[in-house]
Amino acid sequence: MSFVIVRDVIKEYETAHALRGVSLEVEKRQWLNMVGPSGSGKSTLLNIIGGLDSPSSGSVTIDSTGIDRLSEDDMARFRREKIGFIFQQSHLIPYLNAVENVMLAQYFHSMSDEKEAMEALARVGLSHRIYHRPSQLSGGEQQRVCIARALINSPSLLLADEPTGNLDRENTRVMLELLRKLHSEEHFTIILVTHDPFVSKWGQRIITMEDGRIIQDEPVHV
Amino acid sequence: MLLNIIKRSFANQKKAMLLMIASVAVGTAMAASLITISLEISGKVSKELRSFGANILIEPRLEGLADISGQKRYLRQEDIVKSKTIFWRHNILGISPFLDTESEISVSGVKETVRLVGAWYEKGLPLPGEAKEFPAGIKTVSPWWYIEGQWPDQADKVVAGTSLAARLGIKKGDSLMIDGKGFVVSGILETGGNEDNELYMDLGHLQEFKNLSGRVSRVYVSALTTPMDKFAYKDPKTMSRPEYEKWYCTGYVTSIAKQLEEVFYGSRTKPIWQVAETEGKVLERLRLLIYFLCGIALAASALGVSTTMIMSLLRRIDEIGLMKATGADSSKIITIFVSEGFVIGTIGGLLGYALAIAAAQYIGMKVFNSAVEHKALLLPVAIGSALVISIAGTILPIRRALRIKPAVVLKGAG
Ligand SMILES: Nc1ncnc2c1ncn2[C@@H]1O[C@H](COP(=O)(O)OP(=O)(O)O)[C@@H](O)[C@H]1O
Ligand SMILES: [Mg+2]
Repeated sequence: MSFVIVRDVIKEYETAHALRGVSLEVEKRQWLNMVGPSGSGKSTLLNIIGGLDSPSSGSVTIDSTGIDRLSEDDMARFRREKIGFIFQQSHLIPYLNAVENVMLAQYFHSMSDEKEAMEALARVGLSHRIYHRPSQLSGGEQQRVCIARALINSPSLLLADEPTGNLDRENTRVMLELLRKLHSEEHFTIILVTHDPFVSKWGQRIITMEDGRIIQDEPVHV
Repeated sequence: MLLNIIKRSFANQKKAMLLMIASVAVGTAMAASLITISLEISGKVSKELRSFGANILIEPRLEGLADISGQKRYLRQEDIVKSKTIFWRHNILGISPFLDTESEISVSGVKETVRLVGAWYEKGLPLPGEAKEFPAGIKTVSPWWYIEGQWPDQADKVVAGTSLAARLGIKKGDSLMIDGKGFVVSGILETGGNEDNELYMDLGHLQEFKNLSGRVSRVYVSALTTPMDKFAYKDPKTMSRPEYEKWYCTGYVTSIAKQLEEVFYGSRTKPIWQVAETEGKVLERLRLLIYFLCGIALAASALGVSTTMIMSLLRRIDEIGLMKATGADSSKIITIFVSEGFVIGTIGGLLGYALAIAAAQYIGMKVFNSAVEHKALLLPVAIGSALVISIAGTILPIRRALRIKPAVVLKGAG
């Protein structure tokens, strides 16, 4: 059974049809990239998979759990056990420093552990930036804090929405190499949204979305 | 970690924090000083209310002392100072003896039988072994008596009640005959009561004049009392020993009356219920009013905390959405807000406590002319108020925070 199963998901907003029937299966440890024009429903699909949003109809199963049937609190608990998020805007708590931002995720999960949080920052190459506030970090560094935070509780699914959207080519490359290294070490599943062809080549599979539907599904040709 | 979040988030929104702390402090100070004042009120306001008149009347019992003619009964003047020996002696604020006699007066040819009453207007009674005199006389029980002229200080002086004076055409300075003896009217008395139809003179002089040395007919007492409660209305005769002791040692008007009866030889005492009950009601209403004001103060300051917290919440929507996305369930979000409320409550409460001490002192001085006595109660009351305010104040913001949807907040621009 696939690790992520999306079945006939429709998402309607009052003003828009964001998803018009999407079905998708993602194997465990797969790195899947999602591309498509702006407004095609990528973020909506990613949020529904992560339980941040709920589908109008259809079902989502992750690791054999039907998440569309979970209550909000059960979803929060499921999320902190299984899912890590990285967003386009780095989305860190502005008044907490780097290590505290990572520790916050630990706190919500179980208990904060400063040593572990510092090791996580070291793994993303930020040993020298531990006590810096987000505003004192570059865009690339902020995104690396987000990676450390997303992975601190060892999730089995990493969801990333345009994680390199605000980064230059060099920082993008650093970040993708980091992700590739961590992915090969920890074997989590990745679903990554991007519209950058450079980024979409890094995974194993690309799906293309348009107008709320998946119009193409192909392996990455290296 | 929690502590860190709170510390940092406070530093991050100093203005809002200060506003909330100020809200709590003001509300707490209001509530705490009002409650303290309400405790003071029983004591202080009843003292003020005592100027509404005597609340205990002492009269001779039927089997009391007989006078020479064997018809009338009297109390002994010497027993008056004994009222300062009873258990509740410090609550006796005023005492005034009266000697009632009938006399025939004649003014410019008109003869009439009137009541001639002996009393003290203002007299300090020496107490054995004490430097301070015991204030007695009409002024201590009925301060509103109005005399145009002078209280009679000589054996041949009287004051005439205003109605009597009008009827007989008596003016201040006029002469009149009482029982065949010549007197001068030193003043006109106006009370609005029966006294307006009577003649008054100094108690000692009347006793001498009527040959009733050491005798008085009735004594009015103004005593500070504990408002009557359910227990107070129990018949002391049916009480168990401990109950009786409790009753005896509580300053009910009835138990003070009972103790006075024990020191006045041949006496019978009764509370003047109208006065005693009115006092109870006035106090009750005052207290109700204060609790009401207290409630308003607490509600207003909780509202202040609530609106400020919601305002700051609106700026933190991203943050809360992010926390939820990172795995915070409702209990964690609630914990964060309740802890923030708790810290605000504690700081605000302590500030409010300091304010309340000053306020209670100020109000006590302004309103009652004396310092408040119940300061020890301020701290627990202040802490309680602050907690009520901050808990009530965080309920709405928490509900609001729980409704925040992370997806809306976090959806990337692309
Ligand atoms: N919260 C929302 N309310 C209404 N419409 C929305 C909302 N979120 C997304 N949409 C609409 O749904 C469609 C898909 O949006 P989105 O999933 O963000 O696309 P993408 O991430 O591919 O750019 C767009 O037309 C967008 O305007
Ligand atoms: Mg998007």
